[in-house]
Amino acid sequence: MPDSVTFAELKRRSDEIYETFNQEFRRFERFSVDRFYAESVPNLIRQLQLEGYSLTAAEDALNDLTTLRTRYTGKKSDWAAAKKLIGRIADGLQRASAGQHLLFLEVSMTDRLENARLSLEKTIKVLRTARESIDVTIPGRRPQPGHLHPITLMRQRIEDIFVSLGYAVEDDREIETDFYNFDALNIPEGHPARDPQDTFYTTEGFALRSQTSTVQIHAMQRRGAPVRMIAPGRVFRRDTPDPTHNPMFFQVEGLCVDRGITMAHLKGTLAEFVHRLFGPETKTRFRPSYFPFTEPSAEVDYSCFSCGGSGCRICKHSGWIELGGSGMVHPNVLRTANVDTSEFTGFAFGLGIDRTCARIYQLDDIRLLFENDVRFLAQFR
Amino acid sequence: MLISCNWLRELIGTKLSPEEIRDRLTNVGLAVDAVEARGDDSVLDVEVPSNRGDCLSHIGIARELAVIEKSQVSSFKFQVKATNGKTGEFASVEIRDPDLCPRYAARTVRGVKIAPSPDWLVKKLETIGQRPINNVADITNYVLHEFGQPLHAFDLARLTEKKIIVRRATKGESIRTLDGVDRKLDEQMLVIADAKEPVALAGVMGGELSEISNLTTDVLIESAYFDASSVRRTAKFLGLHTEASHRFERGTDPAGVIAAQERCVALICELAGGVATEDALDVYPNPIETKAVALRPERVESITSLQVELDEIKRILTGLGFELRVKEASVLSFTVPSWRHDVSIEEDLVEEVARHTGYDKIETSLPPARHAGEYHSSEERKRALRLALISQGFGEAINLSFTELTDDFDLIPALNAETAPVTLTNPIIEEASGMRRTLLPGLLNSIRHNLNYGIRDVSLFELGRVFGSNEAGTLPLEHETFALVATGGLLEANRAQPARELDFFDLKGAVEAAVDGINLPPLSFAAATIKHLRPGQSASISANGGRVGSIGRLADSISAEYKFRQPVFVAELDLTTLLEVKVQPVFYAPLPRFPAIVRDVSLLVDRTVTVAELSKAATDQSVPHFVGVTFVGTYEGEGIPDSKRSVTLRFEYRADDRTMRDEEVDAIHWPLVETLKERFGGEVR
Ligand SMILES: [Zn+2]
Repeated sequence: MPDSVTFAELKRRSDEIYETFNQEFRRFERFSVDRFYAESVPNLIRQLQLEGYSLTAAEDALNDLTTLRTRYTGKKSDWAAAKKLIGRIADGLQRASAGQHLLFLEVSMTDRLENARLSLEKTIKVLRTARESIDVTIPGRRPQPGHLHPITLMRQRIEDIFVSLGYAVEDDREIETDFYNFDALNIPEGHPARDPQDTFYTTEGFALRSQTSTVQIHAMQRRGAPVRMIAPGRVFRRDTPDPTHNPMFFQVEGLCVDRGITMAHLKGTLAEFVHRLFGPETKTRFRPSYFPFTEPSAEVDYSCFSCGGSGCRICKHSGWIELGGSGMVHPNVLRTANVDTSEFTGFAFGLGIDRTCARIYQLDDIRLLFENDVRFLAQFR
Repeated sequence: MLISCNWLRELIGTKLSPEEIRDRLTNVGLAVDAVEARGDDSVLDVEVPSNRGDCLSHIGIARELAVIEKSQVSSFKFQVKATNGKTGEFASVEIRDPDLCPRYAARTVRGVKIAPSPDWLVKKLETIGQRPINNVADITNYVLHEFGQPLHAFDLARLTEKKIIVRRATKGESIRTLDGVDRKLDEQMLVIADAKEPVALAGVMGGELSEISNLTTDVLIESAYFDASSVRRTAKFLGLHTEASHRFERGTDPAGVIAAQERCVALICELAGGVATEDALDVYPNPIETKAVALRPERVESITSLQVELDEIKRILTGLGFELRVKEASVLSFTVPSWRHDVSIEEDLVEEVARHTGYDKIETSLPPARHAGEYHSSEERKRALRLALISQGFGEAINLSFTELTDDFDLIPALNAETAPVTLTNPIIEEASGMRRTLLPGLLNSIRHNLNYGIRDVSLFELGRVFGSNEAGTLPLEHETFALVATGGLLEANRAQPARELDFFDLKGAVEAAVDGINLPPLSFAAATIKHLRPGQSASISANGGRVGSIGRLADSISAEYKFRQPVFVAELDLTTLLEVKVQPVFYAPLPRFPAIVRDVSLLVDRTVTVAELSKAATDQSVPHFVGVTFVGTYEGEGIPDSKRSVTLRFEYRADDRTMRDEEVDAIHWPLVETLKERFGGEVR
């Protein structure tokens, strides 16, 4: 039978433990706010943040608090040992009083420990969230993309428009015979275009195509009439490079041959084209002109996309920008391609892709197109 | 060409303002680039189409304006005051080459006094930008701008034997032209010669020898019709572009030769005195016949959609000088005026009617739908290829098709090494004298351009054609290729620092991505010796067993030529051939129901043993449940002899009906590894 204990002894012992707890808990006292009052924890956290209280300090405090709790309320704590002594008080009344006294002290400890734990945990959560916040304005992580060449972008836009209008996109040789480059296009012997000053010739006597109309002849011969096609591609003319000339450039030639085709259809088609390329408010203007492969021939202008026609630097203050040449296909050209001119008529048009690029992007030196400066290429999309 | 509005008003009583004239002329195809006020006059800068030589004069423009205004060019009278004798008494004319000079008329004026022109004439010429010289020269110039007929005045006294001989120059002949330049002539050039030597370049410029001077008293006025292409050739060949050649090249009016000469002679008599001969010595052995062109009136509508009244059609055409020959209504037959060399078929007449009715009157409509549109058969795949390459960070370049010719590069197999380059007879950039056989030199130039601007991270690709000679007489080969070049670091968007330096495998990855992008089977790469690549870092590329290109690090010697001080990686592939490879149809494969078990193995092998060989050897074993190997990495360096490297591969095993147990996998895995060890003399690390 163990020794009996008196109430006074137990009270003194428990008061001692409680007193040392109070001393050790003092450093956590500020965290022990009333958890049942909604504003108390947020107020505490705001205060801590103002003081610059760190996440590490809060985590250390929580660890220390847990240790403290174990030391004072754990199964092997002095307090647990003291509680066991209650049963050894012989006097029933004194035993009840001792029980009440210890319960009172214990609740005081556990309640404050719990308040402190909860607010520390919340503090840690808030501080951690704050510390793990990121600068969302830092650039996203991705490889530096390349860019398509502006001429490709423009060609693809033009192809998309004409394919949707029922045209086939064709291509053919870049080095041609005189027949396809000139004869078939009604460019007579002795015409200035044939001069070696204007057209490149290979030592074998072939010509670098000076327009993609050559493709039209091949396509008409292959497909027969009716036919609707465009031919985008590289062409060559013997111009010395300068801000507005390159000895090589890109062109789109279009052709529509069918029964009953008139200049009204030419106007309608190019009007539709510029609406889609430059916007629905764009107007077109057709002026009589001369090309060997069309008769009648027309120069086509569109109203300036920048000023809308009132005049600006881009349109050289005329309100109009030249799109290219066009007209009704010359009967000689149709006959060369074995098209029956008593049954079919057709229109044709041609425009410079580089020149259109230069206009749209306000490029004042088209030599840049073939320098492949990455700072230049990266500007287009 | 400059046109004076006051001069126009003298010819046609127009009330239109210069700006109105500008707009009207532009609408009929004579674009007026600028209107400029000069004193009490305004000058129009008219851009005359190359087929409308007839409009290179005030009368020509007035004629168009008269049709626009529904008025008429006033017929003005001029008369040669003093005449005496026949021209044949004072000079002779012989055309030896009538193919180049169908008509030549000479007329003389004797006893002229060479002096400055009167003010009105000086003013008229100065207004249209012409420099006055002396009365006779100014009068010929004046008539040129009035009629469009170039004229030339010779000092009759300085023509040996007073002879005019129109002939081709002979070999070795030369002439000092009015601009003081000695010009060597060839046998294609037409000259006006006297009994001794050439005295003028026909239709281009006179000679110094027979030039009018202050001492001149007798002049011979030439008015001729020269062959357009002959004048064009001579002018171009000698680089001599004159008011006269500009008009002859475009075709003058053979029938107007005499009228212009008469006008000129009348003015000389009036302003410089002297006595003219009574007639012109007009040599015109084979008069040019007038052409007739028929017009079915309904063709105007069927070609242009314009509905033009028959009377209006006739008014426009007759106003322009066409004469209605047959008055039968269904087909109108018109005589073409002698000054209109550009009209020969019905469509030409339709254009005349259409431009004077107004292109703006033509309605706007789309042709009825017919075909479905279609892209070029290769376009879909080319777009995919381009997208794949730009997403790999490569920018699209375009280079000129002609380059400096070099033998430093291995070509795609389609152009084998013996394929001669296509060379140009007339390059515009001297070094760029041939058509490119490879896209690489162009792209390397682009890298150099960027490096010169301090940009060291450059990744570019290009799609384009390469060329090679074919058998003599047949068109050259044209083959599409695509090429890639890369140097510097791997860039990340919007970040200053490259993630790391690029190497061979970045370029190879881009090539694989491109081929993947167009859904082709994977390419195979094999170490190979390539002329322009550095040994040990170069490979040939094959598709379906056929070689299609090469890839690797640019050889040091070429790098040095371009002054590159950092590694450059290049690849070029035959696109035409790749696009012929059939696209793989896609069939769904059932998803495995049980997880795979993997084993990573590091094998220490000779450097010469390739990952491809190891993988193939493993696969060739046909071990049950073995799915395949995947490359993990290589290690070389510390602890590994120079001749060796460690290759880590991941082996994957799976059963279709269960999750395999470790012991089960080990039982097949280690024997497999053992065979590889034996085969390649390796050891497991
Ligand atoms: Zn504008």
